[in-house]
Formats: sequence, structure tokens, C-alpha cells
Amino acid sequence: MLFHPIVFILLLLSFLVQEFIPGLEIAQFATLFLPAVFFFAASVAVPFPVMLVLAFCTGFLWDARHLPGVSEALGGGLDVFGEDSGAEFSASMALPFGLSIAIFGMLGTLMQGIRPLFKRGRLELPVLMVGAVTFSWLLLQYVVMTFLRGSLEFQPMVWIKMGTDTMLAMLAAPLIFLLLYSLASLSSYEIKYEGLRYRFDGR
Amino acid sequence: MKKLNLIALLIFIAGLVSIFTLDTPTTREIQGKVLGLFSPFIHSSAAIEQAATNVMAPPLDPKAIKRDNDDLRVQVERLRIIQQKYNQIIEENSKLRQLIEFKQSSPFKMTAAKVIRRNASTWWNSLIIDKGSLDGIGTDSPVITSVGLVGKTSTLAPHMAKVILLTDELCRVSARIEGTLEQGILSGERAALDIKPDLRLRFLSLNATINAGASVYSTGEGGVFPKDLLLGRVKRFENKEITGESIIEPAVDFSTIEHVFVIEMQSVVTPEVPAAIPVNITKP
Repeated sequence: MLFHPIVFILLLLSFLVQEFIPGLEIAQFATLFLPAVFFFAASVAVPFPVMLVLAFCTGFLWDARHLPGVSEALGGGLDVFGEDSGAEFSASMALPFGLSIAIFGMLGTLMQGIRPLFKRGRLELPVLMVGAVTFSWLLLQYVVMTFLRGSLEFQPMVWIKMGTDTMLAMLAAPLIFLLLYSLASLSSYEIKYEGLRYRFDGR
Repeated sequence: MKKLNLIALLIFIAGLVSIFTLDTPTTREIQGKVLGLFSPFIHSSAAIEQAATNVMAPPLDPKAIKRDNDDLRVQVERLRIIQQKYNQIIEENSKLRQLIEFKQSSPFKMTAAKVIRRNASTWWNSLIIDKGSLDGIGTDSPVITSVGLVGKTSTLAPHMAKVILLTDELCRVSARIEGTLEQGILSGERAALDIKPDLRLRFLSLNATINAGASVYSTGEGGVFPKDLLLGRVKRFENKEITGESIIEPAVDFSTIEHVFVIEMQSVVTPEVPAAIPVNITKP
């Protein structure tokens, strides 16, 4: 059972490594989101309860590190909307803290659900799935942000950024899968490819 | 679904709900602590980035450096003279204010900070600077350069702060166009992560007469930013369904910022004896 603590430590390390990964200026500062990619890859290899723990930690740390702090109106401001309208404060426009936990939980469950498809031992499908869930994660974040801010805007640069982020995630995914598979064999851990099933007898 | 999975799911949902119900000060505190934990790694990555840039950069010419140094010395001398004149004018202004019992403006303090790096994140435009809560910086404090407004502080660590750039949709400024009575709310475009994206000044009058090239300044009426900070210049005006909208070119080039000043607004109720506006600049 050494596999799970090592995966957890590697997840924490991925947050530190993330600080050293630069953004690509030519593609809207797109970058490799290593903690997210590591989580998606790891969610295939671990049981459902461990995946939920990883989703919680990944989402919590991601929001704590990357989500902009919410402003609080102090009152007394007078702008074009009148006194205390708080137009310069953007509390209602910010994403809620914890949203990433929910998104990672949902996408991790999706990865768990399709685990039987990974049985063949080939990497193509898992890599494609990591790309798909990375894209879904960014899209979900953008859609929630759009919903909170009130107008539906999909500029071409949004697609460029999401596409580049996804490509970078797919490039890194095989290496992470190989690392996890090697780690599993070293620690004598068997990765089970059974999907999530509902049984009436509660087993 | 196994019982264990079901229990794990219920615990996960309970944890998620408890996170969603955290109040703003608590989430800010968590974010500050996490930024503080990561700060050594952010410094290290910035140092590596800088070292890589230096390796790639062409070798420096000693003659050019000496010439730049001489120019800077002359500029420093000129600025010293201007500062002396400025202090005299401030003193004179203070006396005149006293004579007419003019309402005292809030004094403000400026803290110089160095830009550590630009944050590569999902959808937010932000920078990290090397001054934080222990250096006297507060949240939502305006951040400027000698050219104009850069943005406002967000998450604070003891010696590090995240700055939301003016180009981010989250940073909204109550603004006016010079030479007109037009006022609106200036903000960046959604997910505009270009090096120098345009800004949008919304809620202007329909068919307003606005000349391209007119300067845009903060009004100081929104509660966050002081008045008369240069924000940018008008590129063009567009009539929308209900209101007018101007496309603004930011005054600051966000790709080349190295040093910034954080303005700390101090809430001072009109004192009995008005004094000059103290501008304290803390060296980086």
C-alpha cells in the first residue's frame, strides 16, 4: 500500500514543479498544468475513495494558489452607478473558492468510470482522455466565469489557449502514465481497471 | 456502488460544501498562507528564468553602460531639483488650503516593489511582486508605475503579493475621458491574456463625441483607486445597444514592467490642522 502515499507526495511535488514551468507568450500564456494532468492520470490508477482525496487536495491547492482573491467593498465609493455600488469591487465576478474541487471530483469520476477501456495496456486512449478532461476542466471554468459575469463571449484567443494547454497536457500525459505504471510495479500495486458500477446488494 | 465508495463520496461532498461556505477573510487567509508556502519556489523559478534570459541576452557593451550611467546621473540631478520645487509647492498649497479651510485629501503612502514574475494561470492576468503584508501592503491597493495604473493587489503573503492586472476583467476602474464629461467603468476583456490587450470603457453616453488619442484617467470615485491616474488612451468609440463603449489602449506596457509602486490609501478624517500630502516612498 506504498503506492497511494507516493502518488499523494508526487501530486504535492507537481505543485512545486508547476512554479518552474513558464507560460508560452505566443499562445496567450498557455502552459502545462502539471498538477491537473498528474491528477487526471493518477485518477485512473487509484481506487475511487483515493481519487476523491486527490481531487480534494488538487482542487483546494489549485484554488488557494491560483484563484484571484475576492474583493470586499469597503463602502463610501461613488461611481457612475451611484454611491456604494461597488463597481470597482468584483466580488460577484470572481470564481468561488472550491469550484476546482468540484470540477476535479467530477472529471476524476469520469476517468474512473471509463477505466475498463484502459485494460488493453496501450497508452493512446488514456492520453486522449487526459486531453479531453483537461479541455473540459478549462472549458468548465470558463463557462462558470462567463455565467457569473453575465455575457457569453468566446473570443478566438480562448480556443487558442485551451487548445495549446490541452496539447501540452497530452504531451506530458504518457510520461506521467509511465511513471505511475513503473511505480505500481515497483511497489507491487495492482492497478484495477474496473469501472464504477452500482450494485443493488451494496457490495 | 460499494459502501466504502458511497461513504467516501458523502465525505467529499460534505468537505466541498464546507469549503464553499468559507467566508472571504478565511479564503484570503488560506490563499495568503499557500502563497507564502510557495514563495521560495516562486523566487527560485524567477531567478532561473532571469539567469536563462541573461545567458540568451547579447553581451553588454561597457561604453554603452557608462553612457547610460552618465545619463541617469544627470536625470537624478534634474529630479532632485524638481523634488525641491515640488516640496515648496506642496508647502505653499498646504498654507493656502489652511487659509480657505479646504477639505484635506487623504494622504497616501507608496511602497516600491520589484516584479518577480508573470503568473501563468488558467484565465487570470496577474503578476507577483516582492512586497507583501509585512511590508505594509494591503489587499485591493492600487499598483502603479511612473506611466500609469498597473492593477491592484490581490492575495498577500508576508513578503509577496499577487497583482491583478488592469487588463483582467476582474480589475475594474471608474474612469473619465479627458476633455469630456464622459465617465464609465474601465476593464479588460475576458481571458485577454495577450501581452498588451485593449481595454474597454463601458457605460458611456450614446453618440458621445470622443476623439481618438484622448487620455483616460481614474475618477477616484469607485472606492479603490485614487483620482487622476493615467489608464490609457482612446483608440476608437463604438455605439452599443444601450450605451457607448470606447476601446482603450493601456498606458502601461505590461510586458516590460520591472518595478512598481503600491499605493496604500490611509483613511484619515479631516484633521484640525491640514498638512501637506506626505508621499513616502519605501525603497525596494
